[in-house]
Amino acid sequence: MKKLGIIKDWIKEESKILVLGSGEGEILKILGGEKKTRGFGIDIDEKKVFQAISQGLSVIQGDINSDLSDYPKKSFDYVIAHDIIQIMNNPDKTLKKCLEIGNKVIVSFPNFAYIKIRLYIMFLGRMPKTKLLPYEWYNTPNIHLFTIKDFKELCTKEKIKIISERFSGFGKKEIPGFLFPNIFAEFAYFLIE
Amino acid sequence: MSKKVKPITGNSVGIVKTNFFNFAERPNELILSSGIKLGPITIAYETYGELNRQKSNAILVFHALSGDSHAAGYNSPDDTKPGWWDMMIGPGKPFDTKKFFVICANVIGGCKGSTGPSSINPETGKHFGLAFPVVSIKDMLKPQKKLLEHLGIKKLFCVAGGSMGGMQVLQWLVTYPETALGAMIIATSPTHTAQAIAFNSVGRFAIISDPNWNNGNYYGMKTPKTGLSIARMIGHITYLSEESMHKKFGRESIKNTKGPYTNFTREFEVESYLQHQGESFIKRFDANSYLYISKAIDDFDMTDGYNNLLEAFQNIRAKCLVMSFTSDWLYPKEQSLQIVKALKINGIETTYTNFESAYGHDSFLIDDERLKKLFTGFLSSLEASSGE
Repeated sequence: MKKLGIIKDWIKEESKILVLGSGEGEILKILGGEKKTRGFGIDIDEKKVFQAISQGLSVIQGDINSDLSDYPKKSFDYVIAHDIIQIMNNPDKTLKKCLEIGNKVIVSFPNFAYIKIRLYIMFLGRMPKTKLLPYEWYNTPNIHLFTIKDFKELCTKEKIKIISERFSGFGKKEIPGFLFPNIFAEFAYFLIE
Repeated sequence: MSKKVKPITGNSVGIVKTNFFNFAERPNELILSSGIKLGPITIAYETYGELNRQKSNAILVFHALSGDSHAAGYNSPDDTKPGWWDMMIGPGKPFDTKKFFVICANVIGGCKGSTGPSSINPETGKHFGLAFPVVSIKDMLKPQKKLLEHLGIKKLFCVAGGSMGGMQVLQWLVTYPETALGAMIIATSPTHTAQAIAFNSVGRFAIISDPNWNNGNYYGMKTPKTGLSIARMIGHITYLSEESMHKKFGRESIKNTKGPYTNFTREFEVESYLQHQGESFIKRFDANSYLYISKAIDDFDMTDGYNNLLEAFQNIRAKCLVMSFTSDWLYPKEQSLQIVKALKINGIETTYTNFESAYGHDSFLIDDERLKKLFTGFLSSLEASSGE
């Protein structure tokens, strides 16, 4: 399962952050409270943006696919792409934009090579449905699913430096990196620059 | 300062008095963008709430084309309608007068107490009429800045306004970048578009085609009522949305029509509504003021003197809330997004939403709980950042 705690560990106090897909502002509020961050958000949904602004958060209603280039280069200490990169039109381009506007980027995503998913396809022969991926193939927003191995390959190809990586799976337990995360991690977290 | 005489309801600012501020006496006249000197100048303004000792809780709100300094409360117990932003200004409202000191001034060129074409020209002893100099949005701000100096306010907590008021907010941020902590830029545009100019120009044509207009010399005589009321009618159409008009009037018609419509026996509800809008407007507005102010709006171009909007916004320091409304076709979201983009590229703290509302351009004047919550939220974020 997803753990915001891992992201919190990586964020330095009083840093300036941009949260992609900030929704009603949950992450902004938690990090603003516990890490005293100067937080900004972007989300496409008017109703969610309304909730966020009404709580006094700095959020822009906009499209991550197209609007990231409007921020000055390296204007954030961290750009946080929590469970969102797989729904972008071009995850690689979005990732590069994040690295341009942020000093560091936190990317988290569901690992499509997770053992349960492998078994689901193998035995049921259908697109997997899990707690983290609850959609049908025809209505899922997750249009670019990928694995931990895939992500690392992209980082190598694009010369993206992985500073830290952490994994979780089987309930909310954290999985140590030596335990074949590409098989046993349901969700992955990368701190990159 | 306005004195509260008798509260009308629990969350109204009650009875308020319009104040007058005089400045630009000769030889210290105000020099307008055109280079022409104007003075002496009177500015009508109202204030709500109390200025705190640090003078740090002042909010300056700017009115739109047909507005005035009367933004909240009632000028007399007999008033049927409160000020134009009464739903937003008052105790417990977003511009909470228990916390904030809210100021609203009538622009120069206006007709509700500030110097304008209907004022007496000191040189001739007659009404200015067309002898009144052309004023720009930037010119409208200079007297308001003087007013703040007069009140001893160096830095505003926030500047806010919609439509032409939003243009004034943008211009304020650019001209006086260090003087506001926050800004609310609502339903506006960095430049007036050809379509918006076209509508305003039809209104102006209506006024100047009225034989009573008489080149602007109509004071003390028959006034160009027909022209001004047509101008208001066309303007009003642009402030509403197709959806809100449909909901309000549909194709309902009023029976027993009389007067000049005998050959056109059917009169739609929307027609009579517009006529009513026109008729009530001519009682409170001066036709020449309409010409001057609508022209100032059309002439407005935030990029004047700069290569582009980015460069124009480079010195802005305020935290900005930019808002458009989904049903506003006069100032559609693309124009707000130009503002957002230029603010973002300049690294300015920006909040933006294309707010869902069915009421068209006038949405910011609607008593809407969601809108109030949003305003309150933004102002609370300013309080948080001012406390740091």
